[in-house]
Amino acid sequence: MTAALVVKDLSKSFGGLRAVQGVNLTVRENEILALIGPNGAGKTTAFNLIMGFYRPDGGSVVAFGREIVGLRPHDVCKHGLARTFQVAKPFGGMTVLENVMTGSFLRHRQPNAARDKAREAIAFVGLSARENTPARDLTTIDQRRLEMARALATQPRMLLLDEVMAGLNPAEVDQAVALVQKLAAQGLSIVIVEHLMRAVMALAKHIIVLDHGQKIAEGNPNEVVANPEVIRAYLGSSAH
Amino acid sequence: MAVLAAAPLVVKSSFALDIFIRILLFAFIGTAWNLLGGYAKQFSLGHAAFFGLGAYTSTLLQINFNVSPWLGMVAGGVVAALASLPIGWLCFRLRGPYFTIATIATAQVLMLIFLKFRDFAWGAEGTTIPNLGDAPLMMQFDGKLPYYYIVLMLLVVSLLITAWIARSRIGYYLLALGEDQDAAEAVGIDVPRTKRDIFMLSSFLTALAGTFYVQYIYFIDPNTAFNFDISIKAALVSIVGGVGTLFGPLVGTVLLETTAALLQSWLGNQAGVQVTVYSLILMAIILWRPTGIMGFAQEAWARHRARLAAAGK
Repeated sequence: MTAALVVKDLSKSFGGLRAVQGVNLTVRENEILALIGPNGAGKTTAFNLIMGFYRPDGGSVVAFGREIVGLRPHDVCKHGLARTFQVAKPFGGMTVLENVMTGSFLRHRQPNAARDKAREAIAFVGLSARENTPARDLTTIDQRRLEMARALATQPRMLLLDEVMAGLNPAEVDQAVALVQKLAAQGLSIVIVEHLMRAVMALAKHIIVLDHGQKIAEGNPNEVVANPEVIRAYLGSSAH
Repeated sequence: MAVLAAAPLVVKSSFALDIFIRILLFAFIGTAWNLLGGYAKQFSLGHAAFFGLGAYTSTLLQINFNVSPWLGMVAGGVVAALASLPIGWLCFRLRGPYFTIATIATAQVLMLIFLKFRDFAWGAEGTTIPNLGDAPLMMQFDGKLPYYYIVLMLLVVSLLITAWIARSRIGYYLLALGEDQDAAEAVGIDVPRTKRDIFMLSSFLTALAGTFYVQYIYFIDPNTAFNFDISIKAALVSIVGGVGTLFGPLVGTVLLETTAALLQSWLGNQAGVQVTVYSLILMAIILWRPTGIMGFAQEAWARHRARLAAAGK
């Protein structure tokens, strides 16, 4: 399998805080990689660095054979990387369909074509019944669905999902897991940042653990949960 | 629109026609403002800058080089659109209220420049525009009627442009970046470029109003051309009428200007009373219907349709 995303030596500091330090990671095509770690470990910062929202202090990010450090977020999106946000950012005053059309316009200039593509993405995430609902009136899980549909409408090759399970009840988590699996079945490469271990275990065969901005473990789910470094990071050093 | 086109056939008084012209002029400025402030939610209070640049460009060209204001009007629009590039480059670094303050400052700085440079543009005294009598090619007419139709035409053009934008890709992009600039970037929208483009268009149109206005009143000085009231009104008529709606600025202007005119005739003899009542009405509208008249109408229409759909099931 070829690599979809190769991140080398990625670093970013905010003042004295080294949020991400020398992180390396590789995402293969059509795999689901989970990025986990305690709060403040640098997961979301890593996302923002990859997607062009922050400029790294050092390191490189190669996506589908092209260096994307220095590209602005909309160019990264054009290159085939789409994301969702930790706190969902729907365009509240616009309807579900209008929201998703802002994504499909990237590859389809004509409103009619964009509308058709948007409807496909909305159907894929199961929101068709809410097409004309203003986004601000959606429930939490439907807002997450909307964000995924909007990202999907840009026709990405890789999807970065930032805590899509947060705030969902157990039944909704199952639905969201099924949806991410359905996305992977479409041939997308997926990176998830996730706190909910149940979802991580169900989705990812490849896990990377960050703590204090550094990679402390990598491997399959069983290796990672048995790793003493990981246990220490999550439970604190008093666990020793 | 047909009513607006036919209105002067009924209304013969020059006083009433003057009020109509001012209403249409501010509806036009409001519509131009609404592209940037309403759809893209970049709340400018500095549109007087472009109104003034349009007014001065055409007047300078006319007096120094005898260029027809018709051409001067287009030139003014181009000057304003070009001026919006550095102004936007500076102001768009800021978001929310800081953007607004920066736009106010820009318009004030331009006014000061035109006040100081006396040799260049007559300084604080301003100048009258030479009256050539009935000279349609120089945008001068005997009666008020032709002015009415010129400004009506400007308004119609701005409404057509807005309607086209609202339906096309850029309209969706404006709404999206107005809601959340980061999320807009994430779906592939070039936010800085989109803001720059709509700012240019909004500035271009506002400058046309400037040329028209000084041709209409035959006078220009910095205080007329860069008056802060223009910036305020451009935003106010849109807010009252409904930001980000096609007819919001027009509806808002009709409502506000009519109210102002009526208050003037009823309460004009007691100083201060009419301004107070006007302000109270304004506050009431903004508190009661923050989405403006057209916003309220749209919501009511959507509720009505939802009820019909529910009843149909």
